Amino acid sequence: MSEAGEAVGPVAAEAAAAARRPRRRAPGRSVFWLLPVLALPVPLLLNPYVQFVVNLILVYVLVGVGFNIVIGNLGQLAFANVAFFGLGAYASGILTVHAGWPWWTTVLPAGIVGALAGVLASLPALRRIRLFYLAILTMAFGELMRWIYIRAEPLTHGSMGLAVPPPVLLGVRLGTDRQKFYVFLALAVVVVVLTASLLRSRFGRAFMAIRDNEIAAAAMGIPTGRYFVLAFAWGGFVVGIGGAMYTALIGHVTPEAFNLLELILHFAIVMVGGLASLAGSVIGAIVLTTTPELFRDFPGFQELVLATLIILVLLFLPRGLVSLLAAWWPVFGERYYRE
Amino acid sequence: MLPQLIVSGLAQGVLYALVALSMTMVYRATTVVNFGHGDLVMGGAFAVYIFVVYRGLPYVWGGLLALVTLFALGVLIYRGLVRRAMTGPHLAVAMMALAIGYALRGVARVFWGREVLPFPRIFPDRAWLIGNVVITGDNLVISGTVLGLMAVLFALFHLTRTGKLIQAVFQSQRGAALVGLNVGAFHAVMWGAGAALGALGGVLLAPITHLYPDMGVWVLLRGFAAMTLGGFGSFHGAVLGGLILGVMELVLGAYVSTAFIDISAYLVVLVVLLCRPDGLFGRQAVVRV
Repeated sequence: MSEAGEAVGPVAAEAAAAARRPRRRAPGRSVFWLLPVLALPVPLLLNPYVQFVVNLILVYVLVGVGFNIVIGNLGQLAFANVAFFGLGAYASGILTVHAGWPWWTTVLPAGIVGALAGVLASLPALRRIRLFYLAILTMAFGELMRWIYIRAEPLTHGSMGLAVPPPVLLGVRLGTDRQKFYVFLALAVVVVVLTASLLRSRFGRAFMAIRDNEIAAAAMGIPTGRYFVLAFAWGGFVVGIGGAMYTALIGHVTPEAFNLLELILHFAIVMVGGLASLAGSVIGAIVLTTTPELFRDFPGFQELVLATLIILVLLFLPRGLVSLLAAWWPVFGERYYRE
Repeated sequence: MLPQLIVSGLAQGVLYALVALSMTMVYRATTVVNFGHGDLVMGGAFAVYIFVVYRGLPYVWGGLLALVTLFALGVLIYRGLVRRAMTGPHLAVAMMALAIGYALRGVARVFWGREVLPFPRIFPDRAWLIGNVVITGDNLVISGTVLGLMAVLFALFHLTRTGKLIQAVFQSQRGAALVGLNVGAFHAVMWGAGAALGALGGVLLAPITHLYPDMGVWVLLRGFAAMTLGGFGSFHGAVLGGLILGVMELVLGAYVSTAFIDISAYLVVLVVLLCRPDGLFGRQAVVRV
């Protein structure tokens, strides 16, 4: 586009000048490193229940980040995320219970199982099934997985659920939620940083090129099929690791935890936080994990408050809660998204 | 054995057909796939429960009032919420539909908690033996109502002036707007009609099952499966798909394994979309890439 330089109008020239001008006191992306550092002393201030909820937030951060790659960055209506989550959780649980592996060695396998499920879920998209067809297909895939959890009783203990012993890290038993918090925080930071660099690389840019115009992306020489598989696989990997953390946190994996209600929660984390925004997934996970906990004792209000929140955000903040922050703090803005 | 399975399967299938038909109506009119449609079916069941059990109305009047209520709710949902989300990406519309369904479930749970409500028996408690096939009163009332209604709808659609107008809007919204049809009002009415048709499923289901706020999930994926099987967006495909799905569940359940009753709908979706995405009568499902 640079050869069109002589044709720039006054508006474009102004924008170019603004881009050249060094921005004063505008913090860069490194400001995000403050977040995990600030989180370090948090467990000292919390009671065990709140600590549990904070750990749950970390689990859902990964769930949101993984889902966001597929629906936000790649822009596909693929709802198999609950299947990735469940398979990751069951992989970790089964390896711990039946194979006797310590929990920390099951994290990577859980991610790999999630990634394989992601590859499987991307195959229909390679057959050019898109939009609602893909949504319904992947929803059916998730429900089919839930049926398998119930039926594969020798491995999963059926609808009673699989009771998993407390997680072990390098021989140390993580008995309390505070201990789990530090492990989860480290895992979440590593996975989110890896995802961020993936999304900034040519791979991530290719995802967004496909989202914005698939035909144009293919015409530019992007092998779209390969990138579909990669995006689904990485999304599945991230969510699968979230599943392993879920197993460690809850200690009891049941098929009912992975039903269509869970899909609404995952979807809402991404949409309320902000499509195609990593920071948005974190915000979405925080808001949507704590809100139902606040209304735990009022049956029905959990659903009503959550649904109202989603509807309000969709109506008034189509780019998610993160756009509120981005208004004050440009670093939160998603640089790769245009309407 | 087989004839009995087919009859019972068809009786189950008419409900799937009804739900699939109502979702197709919404889809054809506004190109929105309503992921919260199952909860409108639930809404119909709870509405008739309120009118019949709390207000003591006769079932027929209670059912009609429930349909009117859900029609109004459908118009309101479209006008107030869905239409505004439609300016955004597809994901926003899908999320909106899911959130509305979730809210309806929440309303039901605020009032009835997690209890399961039994409905008084209303349909004739008789069964007829034809050959060696048993036909129950439930089967007759439900199939009769649904098939009768479908006949009326198809006649309306193909024979009357209103039906011609509806077909015109389906074919080209811009063209219909150019010749003076109020397309916006049409969309709202079709959403209302879709909600009312779905609610009829709930009204008919209420006396033969128990009511609970999550009952809509069960029917949503079966409706999708019926639509997929018949071909997305095709009316007669949705009806036929529902009937086939109903029979298939029972036949697979009896001859292969009872486990298949629960998953035939998902298998249908997977197999049809992977092998023949157009379904039986569908228009093009595969997006040109």
